[in-house]
Amino acid sequence: MPRANKPLRLTLRVYKAGFGDCFLLTFHYASFERHVLIDFGTSGNGGADWALQVAGDIRGQTGGKLHAVVATHRHKDHISGFATSPGGGGPGDIIASLRPEAVIQPWTEDPNAAPDAVRATRAEPGPHAFVRSLADMQSFCARLVLELPALSGKIGQAAWRQLNFLGETNLPNLAAVRNLQRMGRRNWYVNFGSPCGLEPLLPGVRCRVLGPPTLEQCAEIGRQRSRDAAEFWHLQAKAEEAASGGEKLFPQAPVRSRASLPPHTRWFIERLDRMRGEQLLSIVRALDEALNNTSVILLFECGGKKLLFPGDAQMENWSYALSKPEVRRWLEDVDVYKVGHHGSLNATPKTLWGLFRKRSPDPVPGRLATVNSTMPGKHGDTRRGTEVPRKKLVDALRAESDYFTTEEIKGRDHIRHDLVFDL
Amino acid sequence: MEPAVKESTPQRRERTLRIIAQDPAIRRPDGRILTADVSVPAEDLLPGPRGYRVHVIDYDASAGVLYRAPKPPNAADPYRDAGDEVLLGDPGFHCQNVYAIVMRTLARFEFALGRRIGWSFSSHQIQIAPHAFSDANAFYSREDQALVFGYFPGSKGTVFTCLSHDVVAHETTHALIDGLRQRFNDPSSPDQAAFHEGFSDIAALLSVFSLPELVEALMDYGAPRRRGDRVAVSSVDISSLRRSALMGLAEQMGSEMAALRGSALRRSVELTPSDRYLRQEEFMEPHRRGEILVSAVLNSFLAVWRNRIQGLGEAAPGYYNRRRVAEEGASAARHLLTMAIRALDYTPPADLEFSDFLSALLTADTEIQPDDSRFHYRPALLSTFQSFGIRPTSKGPNGIWEPPEGRLAYGSTHFEAMQRDTDEVFRFLWENRKALGLHSDAYTRVLSVRPCTRLAPDGFLLRETAAEYIQILNIRAAELARYGIRKPGRMPDSQTVKLFGGGALIFDEYGRLKFHVRNKVLNAGRQTRRLRYLWEYGFFDHGARARNHISELHRRKVMGLPMETVEE
Repeated sequence: MPRANKPLRLTLRVYKAGFGDCFLLTFHYASFERHVLIDFGTSGNGGADWALQVAGDIRGQTGGKLHAVVATHRHKDHISGFATSPGGGGPGDIIASLRPEAVIQPWTEDPNAAPDAVRATRAEPGPHAFVRSLADMQSFCARLVLELPALSGKIGQAAWRQLNFLGETNLPNLAAVRNLQRMGRRNWYVNFGSPCGLEPLLPGVRCRVLGPPTLEQCAEIGRQRSRDAAEFWHLQAKAEEAASGGEKLFPQAPVRSRASLPPHTRWFIERLDRMRGEQLLSIVRALDEALNNTSVILLFECGGKKLLFPGDAQMENWSYALSKPEVRRWLEDVDVYKVGHHGSLNATPKTLWGLFRKRSPDPVPGRLATVNSTMPGKHGDTRRGTEVPRKKLVDALRAESDYFTTEEIKGRDHIRHDLVFDL
Repeated sequence: MEPAVKESTPQRRERTLRIIAQDPAIRRPDGRILTADVSVPAEDLLPGPRGYRVHVIDYDASAGVLYRAPKPPNAADPYRDAGDEVLLGDPGFHCQNVYAIVMRTLARFEFALGRRIGWSFSSHQIQIAPHAFSDANAFYSREDQALVFGYFPGSKGTVFTCLSHDVVAHETTHALIDGLRQRFNDPSSPDQAAFHEGFSDIAALLSVFSLPELVEALMDYGAPRRRGDRVAVSSVDISSLRRSALMGLAEQMGSEMAALRGSALRRSVELTPSDRYLRQEEFMEPHRRGEILVSAVLNSFLAVWRNRIQGLGEAAPGYYNRRRVAEEGASAARHLLTMAIRALDYTPPADLEFSDFLSALLTADTEIQPDDSRFHYRPALLSTFQSFGIRPTSKGPNGIWEPPEGRLAYGSTHFEAMQRDTDEVFRFLWENRKALGLHSDAYTRVLSVRPCTRLAPDGFLLRETAAEYIQILNIRAAELARYGIRKPGRMPDSQTVKLFGGGALIFDEYGRLKFHVRNKVLNAGRQTRRLRYLWEYGFFDHGARARNHISELHRRKVMGLPMETVEE
């Protein structure tokens, strides 16, 4: 391939997204540049002002032309920046104005895969039922957020904060979703092994999709998605809809007022209130995990360098790719690893970490570079060993790679950090 | 003048209460909900009902509402003749339904084991929330001393999990096992992980099948050949009974309850016997593995039911009396349930495997009913378990546990104290540690001593004292080789490993040790298998253990997810 058609340098612009991801990956060629935006969202970094500032910066950095957008999955901390506003001045409007050629999302976002409203969820497990499950999960969260004020003071503060955070993160983000469907010249809904539309836009770059697997692919490794699971989410969504209404189950039955609870019931009632919080947290954690596992996993390869962007993929998503010997070989010489799910417990499987051959305890040339976009204190719990970023993982990243975390971006005027890789 | 002592009328021992036989989806031919009258221990109840073992508190945490407790059914069952609208719409009936099923299950355990059974927590009364919150879940929580039942909107109205007999019996069984064998929740073999769920399913299903009203209704499923109140001989062979009674129950259970129970019953019924399952990766997952145990017991149930039917005379050529066939099914279920519960006393208290449970089943039943020649329960169990690759651990005759070897010293212990005092039993263990094969470096503790009196079918009383002890050894992975235990491949040498062992001690009525059912803390083969399983499935990762709570376990079962494991 002529040198003009190969990238000579890469710039990875890492935006300070709080608990969220926003990366602008620029491929520098001899006479032109190509820009790929990978995720644009936050769950704790100033909301609309931040997003407008970042969107403006992206417009400036790209010179008004974005070649591709990758939205790894539909969590708020990955797509909230794509939201438009009614007057057209939202951050998502700015990104749309950069006229991306391709928008890449997981297969679960394909509007054609979405079930029609009357389709029963009790159908055989398949893409329709699964996509419907994701919709039910988000509907559950929308209702949960309505119930949260009533739970305040009844459940522990830490549990309430977690519920609030996870509930908000998993809200449907409809404006962003619609914008992603419309902004690109072409939409690509990808799964393991499928084309992603990036290679024609990025000469000299190979781009492989390593996840998410389709349901058939999951079944190949014995992880058949349960039909009961679709039914479960459907009922949970309805149950939460009923709960958030706050109506009595038996309107005619006599009740005790809160002030006249018999003494022998009080201890248990307090426990039940707390249990309610725990149950909701357990459900919302499960659905958070399910959405994470729809993340697109991309492996870029150019000029002998490999960059791995796994979104928030966790073990269930990774399992299929890691079961393939050729994938394990491809991953051995990764140069840049975007740390999965902000450095969480289960998003950097030890099998994956063990594959990276460029890990080294010494700062030698060619050492693995790792990039973590994260914010402590937002997700998980140190006592449960689920805090994000997970200390044990961060220790390993620091010890065996050139580790960069967005926590290092300090100061009000600094919104990003640029990492440059010569090819 | 009042007499010093009142002349009292004889106190009733039992009272009859009406319950929903399985769940509101199972109907009588006239379309009304199928109900059953069950006997529960009579007691002077307070509103709730609130009795000596159970306290129903009808608080709904989703709505923040405490329903006023209904009057207790002390005089007569207020719902004896209630219509379906009342059964579904009156929370007072829901409270009574859940109370009756919990007490019935408890009474069955106490009858089988011949003693009172305590909960695992420090209270005599378990608390029950029949409408705890809007959630498709129901569970037992040791920490909250509670059984908790959710409700959720279904296609034909609200689905109340507290109205499902099998759900209530299942959760109650979790609580009872926890009281009897606290260490069964510890991370151990794949079999032990599967046992809590599997056994609770077994107890729940056999409890449901012990209602003749329900068995009779289920027998009509699959259109058997019948003539009036008679059923054709050809319609009650094993495969026909599987199609009618078992598949009937699986099919007719409220379909939306699949969101709570999953399809475990259906899968258990459809599992064709094979000795391959136990080795397959798919069945390493505890919920799936539990289905093997359920399937083995259900197949035994069908075999014994068939044996019992064959003892019936034909009511007309080629036909049996349908009611009698149903009663034989209910009797078979009751007997198997009693056997299964009795077996718990004869299981090792740590690192249980299915093969141990089979030996326990066979031994417990042999002790109380040496003559099994009428209905052949034990050969049926032995044969069906073997068809699933489960062979008795004991190499003794017919798979029953063998008496302890060696001479034991009784000189320093006292018969009376050995029946109730854990310190006295510990002294017995300590003085006989060599003969009993205990490891003297391990932490050893006697967990319980329980005298019991069991009633045999022939009226004979069997008196025993059942005690259990555990041994725990904390060592580093690097030390495993010294004990002949193989370390899982990538486990670091510095990893702390907790090895569990222990035994059940069954003393006869003279205080002599009859059986010592144990898993040695340093059984190299067993510990190697256990550690490999725990390592591969992430139980050594920080935080993994705490999350395997029963409520979480149920949710993951329904969602088709494996037990939560962490690859960190």
